[in-house]
Amino acid sequence: MILELVSAGLVISACLAIFLDEAVYSVAALAGTFLLTALLYALSGAPYVAIFQFAVGIGTVAILFLSGETLSETPVTKTQPKQLIGLGVLGAVLSLPAIFLSVSHQNGVTYSVPFGEALWDLRALDVVLQGLVIMTVALGIGIVLYHKKKSSKKRSVEQ
Amino acid sequence: MDFVILSMVMLAIGIYGLLTQRHLLKVFVSIELVATAATLNFVMLASSASIGVGESFLILAFSTDTCVSAVILALLVIASRKYGTTDISKIVSPEPEDEEEENTEADA
Repeated sequence: MILELVSAGLVISACLAIFLDEAVYSVAALAGTFLLTALLYALSGAPYVAIFQFAVGIGTVAILFLSGETLSETPVTKTQPKQLIGLGVLGAVLSLPAIFLSVSHQNGVTYSVPFGEALWDLRALDVVLQGLVIMTVALGIGIVLYHKKKSSKKRSVEQ
Repeated sequence: MDFVILSMVMLAIGIYGLLTQRHLLKVFVSIELVATAATLNFVMLASSASIGVGESFLILAFSTDTCVSAVILALLVIASRKYGTTDISKIVSPEPEDEEEENTEADA
């Protein structure tokens, strides 16, 4: 029952994230989506993935809130309570097929490879490489934004 | 409860947002929803079969997703600063007046 409720909440918050007019509220709904996804993972027996999802989601949402102030413009129309209720109902209706229908047939075969063994014995090289990739991407973004800022300052001085 | 259908619904919502929304931040939110739908499918498959390898792959997918998000966000900030708008249709096809102004400046 809890899984069904969390799934319905997930679809509703996804609908709100897409259809709300204000960008900041949309980011808040996306934060709810990430939180419910992490909860779903934890309830389904994947606690490590839930922790990662939570950490990544919180980081993404924090950056989005910071940049949302820069990117968001004041919308012409504000979200009405009726629209909110309509979006909630739409999300609930969209979550019904996931709760009541079934297309995947699980055959009950389980493979017992522990997470720690899988991560460090089988995928150790991947783990190290992904750390390098993240560092490189962070460095690249920092350089691009620094050059952009520098060139805009140069232009303002020339003007 | 079927997580395949749930991830399909999430994917459909994300793709609908990508096709219809014109705000840059909404496009980013739609991309995040599509990525969440994909990872949800993999995590549920891995956890239902108790496959640790699947979960370890998912952590790799999370880090890749984070890198993609960071690059997209940097591009969004640069695009909004350059064009002065967050409307994606204006970025794809700028106003004809701007082009005319640029042409006259180039001629001068």
